[in-house]
Amino acid sequence: MTERLLRLARSLLYIAAMTATVVAAADGVKLPDYERVELDNGTILLLNEKHDVPLISLRAVLRGGAVADERGKGGLASTFAALLEKGAGKRDAAAFAEAVESVGGRLSASAGLEGINISAGFMSRDADLMVELLADMLRHPALDADEMNKLRDRTINFIRAAKDSNLNALLPIYGGAFLFGDHPYGNPVIGSETTLANITHSDMLEYYTNHVGGERLIIAVSGDFDAGTMRKKLTRAFGGWRSAKSALPVIAAASRQTGRRVLLIDKPGATQTYFWLANVGVAADYSDRAALDIANTVFGGRFTSMLNTELRIKSGLTYGARSSLSRPSLPGSVAITSFTRTGATVEAIDMALGVLGQLRDSGIGEEMVSSAQNYILGQFPTRLETSSQLASQLAVLEAYGLGPAYIDDYGTAILAADVETIAAVIDDVYPSSQDLVFVLLGDASLIRDAVDKYGPVTEMKITEPHFHPAAPN
Amino acid sequence: MKRACLILAALLVSAGAAGVSLAAAVPDEIESRTLDNGLKIIVWPDHDIPNVVMYNFVRAGGRNEYPGITGLSHFFEHMMFNGTSQRGPGEFDRVMEAAGGSTNAYTSSDVTVYQDWFPRAALDVVFGLEADRLQNLAIDPDVVESERSVVYSERRTNIDNNNMRKLMEQVEATAFIAHPYQFPVIGWPSDIEAWTQEDLVTYFRTYYAPNNCTMIFTGDITPDEIFALADEYFAPIPAQDPPGRVRTVEPEQAGERRILIEADAQTPLLHLAFHAGSATDPETLPLSLLLNILVGGDSSRLHRLLVEEEQLAISVGGYQDEGFDPGLAYFYLTLPPGGDPAIVERRMLDELRRVADDGVTEAELVKARNILLADFWRGLATINGKASALGNFEVFNGSYEKLFELPDDIEEVTATQMQEVAAKIFRPGNMTVGVLRARAAAVQENEND
Repeated sequence: MTERLLRLARSLLYIAAMTATVVAAADGVKLPDYERVELDNGTILLLNEKHDVPLISLRAVLRGGAVADERGKGGLASTFAALLEKGAGKRDAAAFAEAVESVGGRLSASAGLEGINISAGFMSRDADLMVELLADMLRHPALDADEMNKLRDRTINFIRAAKDSNLNALLPIYGGAFLFGDHPYGNPVIGSETTLANITHSDMLEYYTNHVGGERLIIAVSGDFDAGTMRKKLTRAFGGWRSAKSALPVIAAASRQTGRRVLLIDKPGATQTYFWLANVGVAADYSDRAALDIANTVFGGRFTSMLNTELRIKSGLTYGARSSLSRPSLPGSVAITSFTRTGATVEAIDMALGVLGQLRDSGIGEEMVSSAQNYILGQFPTRLETSSQLASQLAVLEAYGLGPAYIDDYGTAILAADVETIAAVIDDVYPSSQDLVFVLLGDASLIRDAVDKYGPVTEMKITEPHFHPAAPN
Repeated sequence: MKRACLILAALLVSAGAAGVSLAAAVPDEIESRTLDNGLKIIVWPDHDIPNVVMYNFVRAGGRNEYPGITGLSHFFEHMMFNGTSQRGPGEFDRVMEAAGGSTNAYTSSDVTVYQDWFPRAALDVVFGLEADRLQNLAIDPDVVESERSVVYSERRTNIDNNNMRKLMEQVEATAFIAHPYQFPVIGWPSDIEAWTQEDLVTYFRTYYAPNNCTMIFTGDITPDEIFALADEYFAPIPAQDPPGRVRTVEPEQAGERRILIEADAQTPLLHLAFHAGSATDPETLPLSLLLNILVGGDSSRLHRLLVEEEQLAISVGGYQDEGFDPGLAYFYLTLPPGGDPAIVERRMLDELRRVADDGVTEAELVKARNILLADFWRGLATINGKASALGNFEVFNGSYEKLFELPDDIEEVTATQMQEVAAKIFRPGNMTVGVLRARAAAVQENEND
């Protein structure tokens, strides 16, 4: 091995010693050296050599994503992303997949709310092939009509299959649609059975012209390669690429929910109720990110969190309860999520609301802050261990304009957060239990009457071909 | 396909010419030691990040159960976090997390595996916690009752409200009529509700002994410091009589078996399970390569045929068990609404017979080798992956050193071996078919009879 993954400065360890607890050297985790190149057309290259295993990882981000999906055509960016895998350059869909897999490679594209993400992982001996396939995929995609129709129909059926077997995965999609409503963050990235059916082949061609181009592209590569050679390859492949015709969508921040409203999704025969309680939270560039991470770790971000302690460890009501923060470029959601047997639905939800009240009323004490600091710092190095993680992190930092300090200064910020700062963040970010949307999925006939105490209930069946009870998204 | 093969061949040649070796050797820095009480400890130092991973493989899983205590191995996976005579319920995780560590565990039909991920500064804390729970586990009746509810919630989530897993549970229970691989790892509902305090005490004494465990440490450590800590914390734990061996051998299947579930479902499911080998069976690696050719990605035979060309299924996947005893080679397909499982089953069997009759192409063989080789390296990219791979090879293949023979073993698999494996395993008489379909469809069909 010729270089280290991370530069680990351990000089701050004494601060941890002062807290009389065990702290990792993670407060010194820094991004590794990497090269940043901006091509003439605006494409950004981020290159990091890492030679521990003979692999190369690539993460490309095409800024844009599902927020730009036209109304009634939810799933447009997602379908387009999937279609990128279905043939490019001289290869049709079958030959493209064969080219990737015949060398043990991986190459996939998927949409998120604010970008299309392309992930690749190849043996280092296949670096040329990886660049060739990526360039073909983005510059010469086949965008074949038959392939698009198959993909779209299959995605519709995947959603139906998830309604049979993967309710946990669907709950946040219903939740996002209900919380954000008409706001673009309410767009189900995958689309719905209804909106997917509206998508046509010409939509794909228009999307490619309007939303795909060099100025939107970020390519981060980490692994066993020579940075100079890789820079030349990628520059040759993408240097002369055109721009997207449309500008990036400009959207306003969503408003926070005031008061309560309830969405009840009926799945007859379900033996448990899944619940998602949420409001609008904060964005990726939230100024007190470290304090917020500590608060969320304690509230619902680890096994001994307040939520999991009450709902699982002490009461046995559920296999798991947690809180999650979605932090895109504008405020996303802050949510509590769990599930429990149908008969305990109200007991579990009331308990979760009680824990939320406790967080807001009592805050987090010094001992728990110290524990969460140690936990975050202790786990942090494992998030930047592999070339795949590094490539993803570099691409995300660039996409959100966050800069290396987002990583390099994180440990110091975690250690600097105190009880008062954290209390202020809790007050700022976590909603009152009186200002929440409740999204419940379960057997409505058994819980309908009990849950109307939480607020006005809108009810829909799980078999309805959309995620929002009214809007066509 | 031919062109892709030529490109690959050229790349392999150029890699060889440049002196790039993709073979692996046992790294010198790995050391192992077995304590007097039988606990084997394997250490792989890797100083890239200041963290450590611990895996403790306990040889106790679903195969060690019998009717009445199904799911007990998994339940113990939960109870091992729920207090000792020295520490109260929940304290294990509170102490671990306050020291910067996190934990998890999983249970299979063969083993229960405990995992700790922590900064190296927490080494002492982790050894103290692990030794305590191996030695002093408290099985508090109140905690047992609460945890019973948690496990039932896990079952509701993962099986009862999940058509895919619901069918899998029934297929496994049908494919095995004698061997305990028939039991769901999470346990049958009535057993979850009924296992007794005595069951728990007996089970802990039988299986949670140092001589029934193998511990792996990887990360920012040295073998000497780990062995010194092991001498201090683990050596005093007494060995126990080894558990009795699992005697039952599944009799050869003498004809096709079928199971039908009627449920609320939009998408029908079709599962096919064939009896195959154990982890050490010489047929296991050829079958692993063959499964890659059949279902390993968008270029695989069955995905191309059933999902892309004929659109009879929306997804097809597969795996094989690699346990102590002979397990299953398993295919699972999701059909579009209205899809006919009988038609898809016939097409599956046609294709499986084609492999047995005609074998695989050289290009497919090379592709499967490359996929497994790349997966091998991906698995070793993290200290967690290293711990998992070392432990699995040590426990299931007899020695961790064999992990590093895998790249060569992969290269040595031949197309002939794969064809022979297909002919032996993919026979209707060796098959269990599971179908899950919508209740409404079943009613309709009955009306038409």
